[in-house]
Amino acid sequence: MDIGLNGQILVGLVIAPALLFLALAVFWLLGWKGQEKIVCALTGFLFLGLTLGTGVLAFRMVRHRLPSVSVDLGNWFAIGDYGFPLRLTVDRLSLPMVGLTVVLVGLVGKFSTLYLHRDPGHLRFFLLIQLYAFGSLLLFTAGSIDLLMAGWELVGITSVLLIGFFSYRREPVLNAIRVFATYRLADICILVAVFLAHHWYGSGLWSALITGEWPMQKSAVGGPELNILGVLLVLAACGKSSQGPFFGWLPRAMEGPTPSSAIFYGAISVHAGAYLVLRIEPLLESAPVARYVLMAIGISTAVVATLIHRTCTDVKTGLSYASMTQLAVIFTEVSLGWTMVAMLHIAGHVAVRTAQFLRAPSMLHEYRQLHAASGGQIGETGEHYEALVPHKLQLWLYGLGLDRGHYDAIVDRLVIAPMVCLSAVLNRIEPTWMGGSSPAKASKSEAEEVAGDLVTENSHDAPV
Amino acid sequence: MTGAASGRAERLREAIHHAAHLLPAQGPIGVFVHHNTLHAFQHLPFEEAVVKAASIFGSQPFLAEAAYRRELQRGRIVEEDIAAILAGGEPLTIWEEGGLTRRALRHEVLLRGLRPIDPCSIEWNLRDGNWLRTFRRDLSDSAKSSLAGDLPRKLWAGIETKLEVFKPASPASERVRKEGIEAAHDIIHPVLIRLAAAFLDQGIAYWPMPLRETGLWKAALAILDQSACFMPAGLEGFRNIVHEFRQVPGSHEDRIMGLLDRLGVQEESWGIFLQRELLALPGWAGLIHRLEEEPALAPHVRLPFSLREYLALRLLLLLGATRNLSSRSGESDIEFSREVVDRQGYCDTALIFEVAQLCGLSTGRIEAMPSAVFLAFVAEVRAIDELERRWLLHLAYERRHERQILLPLAKYRAVAMSRGAASSSRLAAQVIFCIDEREESIRRHLEEVDPDIETLGAAGFFGVAVDYTGIDDARGAALCPVVVKPQNQVVEKAIGDHTGLQSRRRALRKLWARMFRQNYVASRTLVRGWLSTATLGFLSLFPLTFRLLNPLACARISAWLNAAFLPVPRTELTFERADEEGRIAAGGLLQGFSLEEKVNCVASILKPAGLHRDIARLVVVLGHGSTSLNNPFESAYDCGACGGRHGGPNARLFSAMANHPKVREGLLARGIVIPADTWFLGGYHDTCSDEIKLFDLELLPEGHRADVNRVRESLDEARARSAHERTRRFEAASPQLTFQQALRHVQERSEHLGEPRPEYGHCTNAVCIVGRRSTTRGLFLDRRSFLVSYDATKDPTDEGLSRVLGAVTPVCAGINLEYYFSSVDNERYGCGTKLPHNITGLVGVMNGFQSDLRTGLPLQTVEIHEPVRILFVVESTPIRVLSTMRANPQLHEFLHNRWIRLAALDPFSGEIHVYRDGVFEVLQVDDSPLPEAPSSLAWYGGKSEHLPLARIHAGGITNAA
Repeated sequence: MDIGLNGQILVGLVIAPALLFLALAVFWLLGWKGQEKIVCALTGFLFLGLTLGTGVLAFRMVRHRLPSVSVDLGNWFAIGDYGFPLRLTVDRLSLPMVGLTVVLVGLVGKFSTLYLHRDPGHLRFFLLIQLYAFGSLLLFTAGSIDLLMAGWELVGITSVLLIGFFSYRREPVLNAIRVFATYRLADICILVAVFLAHHWYGSGLWSALITGEWPMQKSAVGGPELNILGVLLVLAACGKSSQGPFFGWLPRAMEGPTPSSAIFYGAISVHAGAYLVLRIEPLLESAPVARYVLMAIGISTAVVATLIHRTCTDVKTGLSYASMTQLAVIFTEVSLGWTMVAMLHIAGHVAVRTAQFLRAPSMLHEYRQLHAASGGQIGETGEHYEALVPHKLQLWLYGLGLDRGHYDAIVDRLVIAPMVCLSAVLNRIEPTWMGGSSPAKASKSEAEEVAGDLVTENSHDAPV
Repeated sequence: MTGAASGRAERLREAIHHAAHLLPAQGPIGVFVHHNTLHAFQHLPFEEAVVKAASIFGSQPFLAEAAYRRELQRGRIVEEDIAAILAGGEPLTIWEEGGLTRRALRHEVLLRGLRPIDPCSIEWNLRDGNWLRTFRRDLSDSAKSSLAGDLPRKLWAGIETKLEVFKPASPASERVRKEGIEAAHDIIHPVLIRLAAAFLDQGIAYWPMPLRETGLWKAALAILDQSACFMPAGLEGFRNIVHEFRQVPGSHEDRIMGLLDRLGVQEESWGIFLQRELLALPGWAGLIHRLEEEPALAPHVRLPFSLREYLALRLLLLLGATRNLSSRSGESDIEFSREVVDRQGYCDTALIFEVAQLCGLSTGRIEAMPSAVFLAFVAEVRAIDELERRWLLHLAYERRHERQILLPLAKYRAVAMSRGAASSSRLAAQVIFCIDEREESIRRHLEEVDPDIETLGAAGFFGVAVDYTGIDDARGAALCPVVVKPQNQVVEKAIGDHTGLQSRRRALRKLWARMFRQNYVASRTLVRGWLSTATLGFLSLFPLTFRLLNPLACARISAWLNAAFLPVPRTELTFERADEEGRIAAGGLLQGFSLEEKVNCVASILKPAGLHRDIARLVVVLGHGSTSLNNPFESAYDCGACGGRHGGPNARLFSAMANHPKVREGLLARGIVIPADTWFLGGYHDTCSDEIKLFDLELLPEGHRADVNRVRESLDEARARSAHERTRRFEAASPQLTFQQALRHVQERSEHLGEPRPEYGHCTNAVCIVGRRSTTRGLFLDRRSFLVSYDATKDPTDEGLSRVLGAVTPVCAGINLEYYFSSVDNERYGCGTKLPHNITGLVGVMNGFQSDLRTGLPLQTVEIHEPVRILFVVESTPIRVLSTMRANPQLHEFLHNRWIRLAALDPFSGEIHVYRDGVFEVLQVDDSPLPEAPSSLAWYGGKSEHLPLARIHAGGITNAA
């Protein structure tokens, strides 16, 4: 298959992290201990190579005035009319995202070389980082919504596994599961969107849905049903970027090691949602409902998140709501059609936030310096909107912020509790449906049998 | 108030007081002071205290048994130690005919260990494993021979018949159910943590908690008592309770009693209930308690901190949660039940079976045992349970350490004595370091590099307890041990024509602070964040990349920028106080030091150190501290004797005092002669980057330039070599580094953003030697020993000893015990791994986004620590040491309750006497030779583990004073 040099670079870029991940994982399963030096050196080479590759690709695209590069690798599989095309595309929207990903994941890898030194989970961490790099590169270079979803899921699962990195403690695991559940819920939207796109338009390829080159793209499809597709994709983006109905999970993700918090929740992973809405922005032009939904989500999240941020007393939670605020602004910008602004905002925000997350443990040091340099007076804050409203309302707003917008309360009481009730009811009526014996009882008697078996066997075995 | 009511209040106060006593005593983390983690149990003997604390906190008293077994395997504990530990107890015959004694039984059990016996694996081991097929292979020869011809199955059966307690394993169902109170804790903790964190926040939140100046209770209730508010799951209807309690007048104690009644807690169980409630989040409760005791510890914002308010709030939330839980219970409580088979009967048999093998009790002998003897045997086996085994193994572990230290010390001492008197020529210089064990290597290397230099050790505040304000500081900080309250204030001021420079510096720094603050806030809020991140945000990628790829170059550039734009003015310390009454500065402190006070300060160091004769032309005094980036525990590496801060100003102040002509006159009157040509020079040593800075070089007399240059050169060489010795411990450092590369390596550690172990801190502390340098000079102590200069031959009244021990024992023991507990149970006593730590409120760290405040030391700081109680070796006669220690109640408690170990090194005979349970025993020196090496490098090169003591020829004892 002749895909040209650009195509080869692109394919190489995307699959290199996957190959390294697979190779190391196989060795690990075969009993390799994963010497730190080797793991770090290989990861270092990988990201150095990826950065160079991205640079060369960008250079060639600029020089030859190529607005985009696409590679078709055929179908993963095809059944009748449906095919799962493996098409990688990099254009002026995805190229900056690819560049940010390889540079920042590389930097965070470099940081982690020392930070994770001697940690029992060292190899696991680096494997997850490589898999994550593969997932996000796939997500950004996917030529179709189907392939994007594959990358999307990889990013999600690595994120969850890193939140639960310290699996010997209770809280990281509980929070990882909670984030996982949120992701699953949001991912249903993208799954349905894929289904509907194929159903209505016969293809999941971006090129079939959108024509032209970024940033001058137009929607190739239309009709009122496009609103449904748009809303679903916006909701999916909300799940990844912690916006709108899914806005409360981000602080829970702070259970993992500091560098993974930086790369996921300061940098690439949370911006994947922003990338998705930027990608479908031309569709939103023809889908006014979806557009207004996006705008409403962006504006409301920005207001609530900035309020919550003001009351956060720990570094990482503060940073996650600050991230959420700017992501909400980016969502709003996209809904207004300011795609270039949004792009610049993403690039700037990613860089700032990664640096801030990585330096989160410096907070004491910095405050001490600041305090001394300013002569014992740190500038008063909290004198803006807060001070303008009446006292009673101030307290209410503060309570809202401190309880993180009551998000957990709402989810616990209005989503989880009814679900638990429902499943309890189903559990009770299931035996009657199945007819006769209750499953619980069956398993119990089975267990008794096994135990009894053990005992008898043992009394034979015991010496007399 | 009626008698009953006041009795109730009294009981409550007592219950709170008792529970609060158990809370961690750590203050805000910005100033980390090492202390005994189990301070509350110090009145008990060590082994009793750790076990009691373990049952209260659910923690570990010692290392795991497996850890001690590993130490046995690698020879860190040897058979001789176990024999010696058991030799102390009674031999106690269990079975006369069988020749079975308690000592022999314990010896075998400790030496060879028991295979793991637990209900989960016992079944497998018996049926599929080889327990019943063959005897253990690692038995002693005598046990093997007496078991020859016997069969394990037969032995098992014999024991079973004898035991007659064999119960057929019957399936029993065990209900695993969350206890009600724990479910309630899960509901209230998120709310309580956020409220407490908001209340304690020292400046992270953009919007500080409203009304917090009125106290936690009022502020929290005002926030919770809102109409349109969605309460967390499990606290539905909580607002009514809040509203009700907001109206109730009275003290917090009344409220707590009211809440306890409502919760249905009987008066007699208040103590245990409140203890459990406070220990459910020990970090937060402990910090509030600590700040209530000492509000000045709060770095920026002082508030009405009150543990009672916290407790009242906690109980109020608990009331809300339990009310919902009890109304719901039986309805939606989830219960799990799982099938377990009771195999305890097997385990009992297996335990006896194991010990019988170890003791060589064959089936025949078991059967021949009279029942009474057999019962006694079983009782003995049960007596040496897991805790007992761990304690005995710990003793063996400590005994080996003691031998590794004391034997070489005694032998070295003999060598030193045989060498005879020291050379009579005057020393080139003396350098006084802090007693810190991290300074041991640089002291040794300095003496290796230049044998005409002698080093001394004194507690790093150098007797100058001071409230110090540097030119860049906003307010004063106490530079002295935490138990001392400084009485004198010293301010650093720019001198003469440098005042202009200083005011410019201050203005620029203010400007920088404003910009930094702006930028900080701007990137986080809505509108300003939008402007800043969307425009210039991308640029922050470049400094980050640079910093991560080349931290040293980055540090050099920022140092250069600082020098260019913020030049440091020449300064002096205003420490003179002319009038004897003194001027009182703000805060009740005396401005500067009077002559009398200055003389006292200088004498307190020079006198016990025995420095008052043979003083060289140059005496350098080096304080120390540590600098690292991205490290919330930075202060834990600083000088403990300076209250967790840098000790440079103390050294500078001490030197200035000692150079003062009037002070020298005063010292002369006390019999301390300082030659007229002696000059004192203050300096600062950074234990992380191994930088050394000397102060006030401008004031140096012309004639001393050459002396200073010589010492400076030697110090530069010594710090590089010391850095090299440090790198042997760092796995990330190549063993092939040169001295200069090693220096760069440690500098990079202090400048690297992603470095969780900038240095190993006190990780290797284990010994404290109080004595003349000549007893240790030329001895490789592996950075494991605090070294305190003290000369008993010049201290006939023991006054110096009393002062020295009184100052260093609590500091050294505090450091040592904090490391001990953080090592044996890093999750409970320490703060776990650093990697997910999250700074909260500038007062502490949490795991993730909301957890308890973590106190103690992180895993990365204690990972190479050997948890042994510190061994004090005091160079004085046993009687003098003991009477001095007994005279001080605090020292007596440490010693009597065995929180420290003690040995006395007789300064005249050189004999070592080891203190054991109230009496001194003479240490018998064996005749194995003392290891020798030409230089420190030759001894440690290429090795990374703890090393035994060795005699180093370079810089050795020939030149010792």
